[in-house]
Amino acid sequence: MPDRRTLITLAVLVAAVAVSVAVAELSGVRLIDRVVTVMCINLILVLGLQVFMGNSGILSFAHIGFMGIGAYTTALFTLPLQMRGMVLPNLYDVLATVELSPALGIALGGLVAAMVAAALSFPLMRLSDAAAVITSFALLVVLHTIMVHWSEVTNGPRTFFGVPEATGLYQAAGVAVLAIVGALAFKESRTGVLLRASRDDEVAAHTIGANVPVLRWRGFVLSAFMAGVGGGLWAHFITSFSPNAFYLKETFVILGMLVIGGGATVTGAVVGTIAVTIAYEGLRAFENMLNTEQVFDGTVVGLTEVVLACAMIGILVLRPEGLAGSCEIGATALFRRRPQPTGERP
Amino acid sequence: MTTASLTAADLSVEFSGLRALDRVSITLNTGEILGLIGPNGSGKTTLVNALTGHVRALEGTITCAGETITHLKPFQIARKGVARSFQIVRLFRNLTVLENVETAAIVRGASRPAARRRGLALLEDLGLAALAEEPAGALSYGDERRVEIARALAAEPRFLLLDEPAAGMNEAEGHALVAMLSALPAARNLGLLVIDHHMPLIMRLCQRLHVLASGRTIGEGDVETVRRLPAVIEAYLGVSAVEAADA
Repeated sequence: MPDRRTLITLAVLVAAVAVSVAVAELSGVRLIDRVVTVMCINLILVLGLQVFMGNSGILSFAHIGFMGIGAYTTALFTLPLQMRGMVLPNLYDVLATVELSPALGIALGGLVAAMVAAALSFPLMRLSDAAAVITSFALLVVLHTIMVHWSEVTNGPRTFFGVPEATGLYQAAGVAVLAIVGALAFKESRTGVLLRASRDDEVAAHTIGANVPVLRWRGFVLSAFMAGVGGGLWAHFITSFSPNAFYLKETFVILGMLVIGGGATVTGAVVGTIAVTIAYEGLRAFENMLNTEQVFDGTVVGLTEVVLACAMIGILVLRPEGLAGSCEIGATALFRRRPQPTGERP
Repeated sequence: MTTASLTAADLSVEFSGLRALDRVSITLNTGEILGLIGPNGSGKTTLVNALTGHVRALEGTITCAGETITHLKPFQIARKGVARSFQIVRLFRNLTVLENVETAAIVRGASRPAARRRGLALLEDLGLAALAEEPAGALSYGDERRVEIARALAAEPRFLLLDEPAAGMNEAEGHALVAMLSALPAARNLGLLVIDHHMPLIMRLCQRLHVLASGRTIGEGDVETVRRLPAVIEAYLGVSAVEAADA
């Protein structure tokens, strides 16, 4: 039975997702519906990153590569059979006859991402600090290069199109809620506690008998599974994409959301995702307005990226633990149980 | 209760050619308190580091309850029942005090509720129950040391190696610590090795002493025998006696 503070945290974070969905529904504006859907998908990706990065303290750049694996896996297995010859002319015969429903495809995408992570990452989990960060970046480059060149299944650098549209607001929000539950459960699990211990002091973690690489590996595999599921949902939302969707730009957005919100907590992942989404959409609208009103001579581009980058720098300098701070919302003073009145006053 | 021992035989350690330990043999039995003393730089901490796998032995063998553990990694040695504390306290600073203690129980296979119960019981024993929900990074120096000991005990070790457990404690805290440590070997059937510079504390606490100087053993045996050895008086007790007279 999880403790009271974790349950409060869960309730508040799920409520935040529910409010976002309600806003989209009540507004009836299609654009807001799409923004909230993407936000929920991004939330799954950010939570996945938090599972590994927040608990182990190791920055991973490889995350979006696993999102790509999930997206391509479900795209490949859910693409209608009659379209396969057109989208993927060189597809292997074995794969040309299997067609799954989107739900199964997304689940399979998560599993494939987790299996690839399980196989590739074990030697990497011995590394800490800068070496771990650089190798994870190298892993992203490797995964990207494979997506660009494995034409038989990804259509190479060209657009993969024709993925059935299956992800709506409710599917994305539902999986996001599951991701919140998963991230909180992992954080409070035996592995999660030991992983957080190793983040604080690796030597002391060895001394109490913790096998740190194995702990990190478990976190990394769960993290890749969540990235794969997020990627699959996104594929069935956007329906056509190319390998560039799973590279530096997306990495920066997801990492920015986690850093700005605060990587150490699940609360931080949720706060960061919501805050950055609102800021992003606001800036995009502002940018459009500047361009349509022709306030400046040229067109304004890249405002969102620049502001996100500056926000990241500002947060890291001024409040390195992120907007949400270092403890979960349920453990803050807001929800601290007040001492029972004793009845007598001195 | 059966007696087991943690043993090093002819253990040598070198740091880039410099011999930090030179053929040191030491035995720690369950049920006893062994004091490891010696001047600064004599190799006391290095010996504890070698026994717990943090430093590789150049030669010699280490056995724990008859099993050779010489080339095992620190986490594997910990799982054989050897726990330790550090000269400079190493707590998991962002975890609560209770979670810190829980970690060692979890590694030994306890579920979270079981680890919680064991952790709370230990904190109660060590007078730390009021701090259970505090972040470990916010403790006073003496409390940090006691939490580290509680964490080590949560693993239910057969051998506990403490590197200067009383450092930074005041007189009263030191006395309380001695009382607590004295009871450990019998109550938990473990062997306790204590490094400390504070001779009165060592004399009160230990039945047996092992003295190092410049990486070599220069004396071992019961407290009365060791304090009369000329080499020990010259290398260590002499200095300490002078300091004691000054104070």
